[in-house]
Amino acid sequence: MSLPDFQLLRPRTVAEATELLAKHAANAQIVAGGTDLIPSLRQRLFAPRFLIDLRAIVDLRGIRARDGGLDIGALTTLTTIERSPEIAQKYPVLHQAAKTVASPLLRNMGTIGGNICLDTRCLWYNQSLQWRQSCGFCIKKDGDLCHVAPGGSKCWAAFSGDTPPALLCLEAEIEIAGPQGTRRVPLSEFYTNVGDARMKLQNNELLTRVLLPVRTAGWSGVYRKLRIRGSIDYPLAGIAVVLKRSNRHVADARVAITAVNPAPLLVKGVARALAGREVNEEIALQVGELAARTAKPLTTSALTPEYRREMIRVFTKRAVLEAAAIDQSLPRAQPRGPSTVD
Amino acid sequence: MKKELITLKINGRTLELASEPNKLLLDVLRQDLGLTGSKRGCDDSSCGACTVQLDGVPVLSCTLLAASCQEREIATVEGIAEHGSLAAIQKAYGDWGGAQCGYCTPGFMMTVDHLLTENPNPSEDDIRHALSGNLCRCTGYMQMFQAIKAAIEAERKGRASEAQTAGAR
Ligand SMILES: Cc1cc2nc3c(=O)[nH]c(=O)nc-3n(C[C@H](O)[C@H](O)[C@H](O)COP(=O)(O)OP(=O)(O)OC[C@H]3O[C@@H](n4cnc5c(N)ncnc54)[C@H](O)[C@@H]3O)c2cc1C
Ligand code: FES
Ligand code: FES
Repeated sequence: MSLPDFQLLRPRTVAEATELLAKHAANAQIVAGGTDLIPSLRQRLFAPRFLIDLRAIVDLRGIRARDGGLDIGALTTLTTIERSPEIAQKYPVLHQAAKTVASPLLRNMGTIGGNICLDTRCLWYNQSLQWRQSCGFCIKKDGDLCHVAPGGSKCWAAFSGDTPPALLCLEAEIEIAGPQGTRRVPLSEFYTNVGDARMKLQNNELLTRVLLPVRTAGWSGVYRKLRIRGSIDYPLAGIAVVLKRSNRHVADARVAITAVNPAPLLVKGVARALAGREVNEEIALQVGELAARTAKPLTTSALTPEYRREMIRVFTKRAVLEAAAIDQSLPRAQPRGPSTVD
Repeated sequence: MKKELITLKINGRTLELASEPNKLLLDVLRQDLGLTGSKRGCDDSSCGACTVQLDGVPVLSCTLLAASCQEREIATVEGIAEHGSLAAIQKAYGDWGGAQCGYCTPGFMMTVDHLLTENPNPSEDDIRHALSGNLCRCTGYMQMFQAIKAAIEAERKGRASEAQTAGAR
């Protein structure tokens, strides 16, 4: 199907982009890789007058070392991230999460900025205009009721990106550019957990960079996701685990979950449950319980909420055991060659 | 919607054309340029029948605005044949039944071409992984797998005999 009418603007610098955003704010929409936005335009979920295409801003591409950590430009593709030896070595959980996004073709196009700013998803929302018209509009788009939680006024569309839980575990910060210059925000303060107003980004701002701290570099990590087709689909439940060990004991740990709430969320109490202990099946299961309690899946996708919550518990347990079994003193397997995209 | 002049580099040729800013690359290729090799197989960016290469990297032309592709090198299946004859991989697909109805084939060609350019000697896992974003409704994946392995073998033999001729000279 064709796309709605709009004017395409192609800034070459961040300054040009913020100028255009300031000028057109409410009437404009950002496009990066387009793998989320273009299908949504086809379904008439948006009708912007101006589309601001960031692709020509070369400054926003690529991975750079900084103070022992790494800076990732918002336009860096997921393929580049998946293939970066630095990321695989220092932040293995991000390497794993990036590798599971969609398909190789979509990762060649999709960017980390777009993955962080991904729109929330729901069975009643990600549908064609005709479908939505026939079944009745919802709070998130054109309507005033929720088909998932009837009677409620909150939108429960699920945040379904794979890299944000990994980034939350790694204590990533993001850099945001706007009319007043740039600001930095911990990723954990970026999301709202409200499906139809998912993130704290003004309509005259854009995300420019992801900053990974030296503190979590070298922590072992595992990402696991539940999806229908293993080669392409969005997560219907996803969990990221990172662990820092000293000898056989856990020194510090984080778990974050995705696709089961309107935001990717850090699970509270994980560091307390694991610190100073040697991981075994029972402790791993306790952490799984914590994660399952944080998950509030509703009928926003093709699998039942009960099953998705149960898989959060199971995947968390398995991932904690697996992360604890990784020997942090050994160099990790290197991913294949440099990317050809960036 | 008002048309704008855009410049596209496709299969080594630079073309100027007037096109609406909301037009997808797939539609410009098929409707404006008559390059109907690339196909539309789905409406949700999930099948890969529309795969083309952008600066050598396979991407979905149904999910890209044509105007966003200016200043980049676009390659379509029409550009895959070598000097007017079939490329090794095209021939192998024919020999091994890698194409049944053939609708998905142009997309697969662009993905496989990139795989073999990047890595002339891929493992079975590499091949399966690379193909995982293209869907075949006729489900002829095994035949494609055999065709790809045959093409790799043909290339290897070709290289070996070239080296031999060069050595004999
Ligand atoms: C079939 C299919 C399967 C998919 N499966 C997965 C999956 O398994 N896991 C997953 O995580 N994703 C999946 N996706 C979604 C998508 O491919 C990725 O999330 C990708 O990373 C999105 O990035 P993009 O650059 O293409 O985003 P775009 O589509 O360009 O943008 C997405 C959103 O973010 C905003 N945005 C983008 N960049 C910026 C920026 N720098 N600053 C401010 N706002 C910005 C846009 O305005 C838009 O609202 C899938 C998509 C498809 C079509
Ligand atoms: S037509 Fe199906 S992915 Fe492009
Ligand atoms: S050969 Fe028919 S769809 Fe693949």
